[in-house]
This record gives sequence, structure tokens and C-alpha cells, in this order.
Amino acid sequence: MKEKKITRRSLMGAAAGVAAFTIVPRHVLGGAGQTPPSEKINIAGVGIGGQGGADLRELSSQNIVALCDVDWAHAGGTFRRWPDARKYKDFREMLDKEDKNIDGVVVGTPDHLHAIVSMAAIKRNKHVYCEKPLTHTVREARMLADTAREHKVATQMGNQGQATEEVRLLCETIWDGAIGQVREVHVWTDRPLHGTNEWYWPQGVDRPKGEDPIPESLNWDLWIGPAPMRPYKANPDNPRVGVYSPFVWRGWWDFGTGALGDIGCHSLDPVFRALKLGHPISVEACCTLVNNETYPVASRVTYEFPARGDLAPVTLHWYDGGMKPPRPAELEDGRRWDTNGALYIGDKGKMLGGRLIPEARQKEYGKPPQKLERSPGHYMEWVIACKGGKPAGSNFPDHAGLLAQVVLLGNVAIRPELKAEKYLGTKLLWDGKEFKFTNVPEANKYLTKEYREGWAI
Amino acid sequence: MAEQRKTVSRRELLRGTAGAVAAFTIVPGHVLAGAAGQRPSEKLNLAAIGVGGMGDYNISQCGSENFVALCDVDDEYAGKVFNKFPSAKKYKDFRVMLDKEDKNIDAVIIATPDHTHAVAAMACMKRGKHVYCQKPLAHSIYEVRKLTEAARQYKVQTQMGNQGHSSEEIRLLCEWIADGAIGPVREVHTWSDRPVGGDPWSDFPIMARPKETPPVPATLDWDLWLGPVQYRPYHPIYCPMQWRGWWDFGTGALGDMGCHIIDPAFWALKLGAPTRVEATTTHYQPEVASETYPRASIVRYEFPSRGDMPSVKLTWLDGRLMPPRPRDLEPARRLEGNGAIFLGDKGTIMHGSHGAGGLRIVPEEKMKAYKRPEKTIPRVPRGQAGHEQDWVRACKDGKPASSTFDYGGPLTEAVLLGVLAMRMKDTPLEWDPVNLKVTNIDEANKYVKPLFREGWTL
Repeated sequence: MKEKKITRRSLMGAAAGVAAFTIVPRHVLGGAGQTPPSEKINIAGVGIGGQGGADLRELSSQNIVALCDVDWAHAGGTFRRWPDARKYKDFREMLDKEDKNIDGVVVGTPDHLHAIVSMAAIKRNKHVYCEKPLTHTVREARMLADTAREHKVATQMGNQGQATEEVRLLCETIWDGAIGQVREVHVWTDRPLHGTNEWYWPQGVDRPKGEDPIPESLNWDLWIGPAPMRPYKANPDNPRVGVYSPFVWRGWWDFGTGALGDIGCHSLDPVFRALKLGHPISVEACCTLVNNETYPVASRVTYEFPARGDLAPVTLHWYDGGMKPPRPAELEDGRRWDTNGALYIGDKGKMLGGRLIPEARQKEYGKPPQKLERSPGHYMEWVIACKGGKPAGSNFPDHAGLLAQVVLLGNVAIRPELKAEKYLGTKLLWDGKEFKFTNVPEANKYLTKEYREGWAI
Repeated sequence: MAEQRKTVSRRELLRGTAGAVAAFTIVPGHVLAGAAGQRPSEKLNLAAIGVGGMGDYNISQCGSENFVALCDVDDEYAGKVFNKFPSAKKYKDFRVMLDKEDKNIDAVIIATPDHTHAVAAMACMKRGKHVYCQKPLAHSIYEVRKLTEAARQYKVQTQMGNQGHSSEEIRLLCEWIADGAIGPVREVHTWSDRPVGGDPWSDFPIMARPKETPPVPATLDWDLWLGPVQYRPYHPIYCPMQWRGWWDFGTGALGDMGCHIIDPAFWALKLGAPTRVEATTTHYQPEVASETYPRASIVRYEFPSRGDMPSVKLTWLDGRLMPPRPRDLEPARRLEGNGAIFLGDKGTIMHGSHGAGGLRIVPEEKMKAYKRPEKTIPRVPRGQAGHEQDWVRACKDGKPASSTFDYGGPLTEAVLLGVLAMRMKDTPLEWDPVNLKVTNIDEANKYVKPLFREGWTL
């Protein structure tokens, strides 16, 4: 495999000089490398036991050359699928050793590692596919977007819904004026609960006391990465898994980004596209009791966006934990009022998700004039971009960086310190250009975080 | 018995017609003289039902009167109060107390958990006793309606325990709104930080029904505590403190605080009955959701136009959810953990939790510039601290107290309709207040009038 690759690269170089540089990655010569459309790209995966593994399967038309996970047992399924890929526990070591063999990196770690891994890859001029939310902090999202732009690498965030026909129809319908100017949007999810029956992951809980033996397969120090060190704890109800990992890290401030971070980058994405949103001018949030360990059980976040050209100012309401906006009168009796959704309120009508309500109005309206190119698929968009084609729909510099920043601003607004009595009813005023809250300076420290010694972005 | 005889003789003197009295010694005085049988100079003979909690405070506020009987299902929990009144008779069952003390009692204070307000208050009123009943007036909308009607039928003096209703500020609010201080009001936001307000009364459990059945404390009559509610085994998670969080016993954060926080809007805007209500709540597991109130809820009411006042959308939020920050509020100011915001066509008014406390037009500049109208609504001496005494006064002079059941009843009905809407989460309910019926979702009507346990009636 390695040999074949070198051959390909030698051919690609098509210059005498190339032979002298076979040990130096080509992107050092000329920015991010481009793989011809006929060739496969060489991909490494970091954090492959969960969604990262699913992402790699979607990219299995390409060469999966290296796999990295801090828990080889958790990653076992993915390892077995690509037995020839070289295995690592530490992504830094992998990037050092595989530098010249890798074109792109797929990042499917917990949120607190996204930016660290992605940034290291981008700085080596690797293309990056990173799971949503793009980062753990607002500042990281901005840095990744800027650095990806500088290094001219192909990027894509893992909000795969952006590639769908539905999102395009939604945008085109709104741009066609089907519901007039949109001034109000409501988006909601039942996470962190899954319906009324079970938790996807706990929120609103405190840190467990004590310490349990770290599973043999897990490198806890690497899993903790840039976060403050804490002891490993097994889940008392199911000792085979931890209270922080796998998956349930989402509820903890140190590792995840809560319900908003998890789902916001999916469900706010179409709002950003359809309404051409930029930075908000304010963020106002309320939530159930919140502590410094986990996100609250439920929250409501309201963003205000200014006018954009001809487009009216927009108020965007986010709800999680099972709360919903008022059911619109236009929704027919008996019609499902889902536990996850988006409602667009325009001067001349309403849309629930991508459809006008009531359904009779959608039928009468039919289809909007096509204005947007259709997608070859979310993953293929990235592959094409890696090969020098059109930038992917959720690339960091043009889209995902902004979307992730705005989503994570909501999490700043529900920080326990900012929910104390003295801040009740506070609306944080945001200056996106200057990257700061202008009325509550003490909120600005939550735009970033401290990294554990030995870790930096 | 000596006590009883003494009372009778006092009454004989009071009436000044010993002969007529002799023929009526078994009939309480107020039946003879309507609801206003007493002279202001005389003391009332009071009883109290449910004295261990809020009752303690209400009783102490009536210290000017005679307490002749006290009733509580747990004499240990009530012990502190019992000991303050060594000469008062002590009872566990209010029905026994009313039977035995009927002719000795003029009026009764009721401060039981919500689920026994109605049975106790009704029994008192049927005997012609004046009633002071804690808020919310009752546990279900049907009970509230029945109590409101009974108060009129039996011509007794009533007062609901929303003491803020006697405040100075709530009167100012009414006068300012009537004066057009902020123009017509179309939108009101009300909120409470409960059920996590930080004190033990507001720390509600959110859980499934406990399976363990610890022994009933020797001092507690559990069957009486349950009263009209379907039987379940005793557990300390219900009583004495945390019943508010359970559907069967309490009315949640909205029932607890709504009668305080919605009260000013209800009065000033003459809201009356809502015609539409929709609630959303945090999700929780069905076995938990069927037992306890949610961690947080948002209830959206619509009140139709009244005379020249436009229709109003009133929103209730609890569990630390907050309303949108009003635009008129100066940057340096914050909101309270409990309060209300009135958005009028020409301005904004804010206040805090009880009796429109902290009432201000915002911004402060507008407040200062506002030329206050003449005070036209009668004041209650000592404001909300005089709420109980206002009722004592009513019992004596026959002029209604500030928050009679005629007022507190409809207020509680509106509050409890919001509670009902939480059980029908995310479903807009159309409400027929005349017939007490949800007209669009029949399933909701089972919550209007819950089934009483055998042996209990209104």
C-alpha cells in the first residue's frame, strides 16, 4: 500500500525534483496537496470507536491508512474492518509517523479534543473532516476556521444533513418569498433525553466521588487530553463503561457541549443557510439548575441577528430538554408535533422543517425554482474538495466555523457563574468582529479554556 | 366543658337577649346574624386545620383572637403550635372537630396540603364558619368552583392566603394600569425559580412513586393525611414537606407561586377566565411524569378582550426559566428570581413575587416622571402583613376581605388550568370556563374533577 502510494505521488510530481522529496510531504512544497480526481485519498481516523468509525465507513471508497484511538477495545470493530491500517493510541505520534502517508484526517473524538487534533492536522496541511460540534470552545472554532483558510486545506464538519435535498428546498422556498420575511425561528430537541423514556446521556448531575481502575484497553491520560485530569470512574449501573466515556462525555462541561452542542450544529445549520445568518448581536439564555460539572437538564437560548441586506432581523429561539415552542395554529389537528424540529415564522406564512404548513399550502405552492447545486453527498463533498474540487458545504472557513461559534455562544450564556442571581435576566451583547461580549466582560473568559500542561492548540 | 359554657355566656352577653339565645344555644351565632354576627370589639373564636407549616404563621397573625380548637393529622409536627395554645382543644380529624366544636367556632383557618383544602373548607362553610384558606384555594378546578359557589351560598366571610393581595403595591399597580400608565397591555410574563428556589419547601422531588413502605410515624394519622386522595402507602417523601411536588397532593411550582405572582395581573387587567392554554415542560420518564411535577415548565395563557381592554397573552415560567429581558430595562438592572413583566403599548412595568412588591415602571426615568393617579382603591391596614387581620375584620363587620373566594376562586381556576395543561403537554387546550370543560381534548377533562376516595365528598 505504501509503495503504491509513493508511486502515485512520484507520478503526480511529474518533475525531476520530486524524486528528491519523496520523504517530504508534497504539501510542504505547495500548500495543501491535491489528489487527482481519479485517485483515492489516504485517510487517517482519530477517535474511531463511535461516530468516527461511522464516518470512516462512509469514506470506505478511499484508502484508510491509519487508525488512532485511545481505547483499542472500543475501536475494535473499526480496526477489524481495516486490518491493514496501522494502529495508534496517540494521534500526535500517528501524525509524526504517518505524515507523508496521509492526505486527510477524520476526527471523531469527544468534543474536547476536536480542535487539538484538527489543528495539528491542519498545521501539517492535512485535509480535515471533523465531527460536530466543530470544537469545544468558541475561540477554538474561530481559530480552526482561520487556520484552515490560511492553509487552504479541504474541510468539512460532520453535520451531514447540510448535504440533503430538504435543506436546499428549504432555502429555495424561503428565498422564493413563500413565507415572506422571516423574523422568528424556533428550534428544539428533546436531548439530553431520548423521548421521555431514557437519557442519551445525563445532565444536571454532580461529579461522582472516588476512583475506579482504568480499563486495560484505555489510555486515560490521552482520553483526558487537554482537559484537567480527573480520576476514571466506572458507571455504577454498568461497570463495563465509564461515567465519562464512551459517548456520555457529552453532558460534562470539561468534555462535551451538551444538548445544544450536540444537536445545534445539525438543526441550526439550515437556519443559517436559509436566512444567511452571520454573528448574532445578542445571546440570552435561561436553564434549569446548572452546576460546574454538567450541563443543565433543559435550557432555552435566544439569539438576535441583525438585518442582513434586504433580510429582516431574526430572533432565533433554541429549546432543549423536551420543551417546545407553542404549537402553530397552522398545523392541522392530529398532525405530529415532533420532539425535535424547527419552525420558521414569516410575514406571510410558516414552515415546519422544510415544508409549508398547513400541508395544503405546501401542495398549492409546489416546488421552488432551483437555485442551489445539489450535493454528491456529504462525505463525497469533502473527498472532492480534497482533490482540489469545490469546497465542501460545511467547510470550516466559510460555514462551520461560524455556525459552531454561534452554537457555543449559547453554552457560554448558561455557565453557572452567569446564572447566578446577579446576572438574572442578562442579555449578553456580542461583538462578533471584535470577538467579545461588550456588556459582561466576565463572560469572555468562557470563550476559551485552559489547557492541561503539555497540551496546546 | 367549662370552656364551652364560658363561650356561650359570652355570646349571650354579646347578643344582649338572653331569652332568645337560650333557645338557640345549639345554633352558632352567625346563623342567626348572617355572616356578620360579631361586633368589632369582640374576639373571634377560631379553629385551625393544618397547623404545622404555613398555618403556624397564619395563626400567629391572628393572635388577637381566641383559638379554641386546633387540628392536625400529626401532633408531633403540630406540637410547637399546639403548645402555644394550651387551652385550645386538639384534634386529628377536622370532621370530628367540627362536630364537637361546632357551636364554639366562628371561623376557621385552613393550611393543610393542597389536596385537603377543599374538603376542609367546604365542611366549614356548610356549618356557616368563616374561612381563611391557604392558596391555591384547592387542588382541582372543580373543587375551586364548588368552594367559590359555597362561599356565596352560605354567606360566610372568606379569604385566600395570597397575602400579597392586601399589599399597597398591588393597589398601585391596578391604579396605574387603569390610569393608562403603560397603555393597553397585551403581553405579560410571570415566572418563579421554584421548584428549586433554595428552601426546603420548594425543593420538590422528581421521581417515580417510592416502592418501599416505611412504617407510619406513631404521631401521624396517614389515612387522614391522604384524605380524599386514593390510598397509597406512607412515605416521608410526601409529608410533611414535599407534597407540593406530587400531582396527587400538590399543585407544583405554578400552584404554589402562581396565586402570588399572577395575582397582580389577574386583578389589574381584570383577566377573568382564560380561553386557551398550552404548556410545555421538560421531558421525564413516564413513571416519573405520572407522579411528580416537571423540573421546569412554560405555560402560555390566552385571555380574551374584556371591555375596552385587549386580549392578553400571559406566560408562566418556572424551574429557573426566565422571560425575555424587557427592552426598556436599563443595562445595569437585572430581573428577580420571581416576578412579572407587563408589556403595554406605551411602556413596561415590572414587579417581584408577592403583591406586586418592588413595582416599577421601567426605565426608572419614566417611573420618576410618572404623575401618579389618585389612590382610589381602599387600602388594607399594614398591607400584606395585615392580610389575616383583614379577614378577621371581615368576619366581624361583614364587609368582604381583600381576597375573597369570589376573587381567589377564579384566580386559582386560571392557575390550575395551567397545571392541567402540563399534564397534556404541548397540546393547546380550548377552555369553556362556564361549564368547566376542555372543549377540544376530552381526555383533559379527567383532570378537572379527580375522583375522591370512598368516604370523602365535597
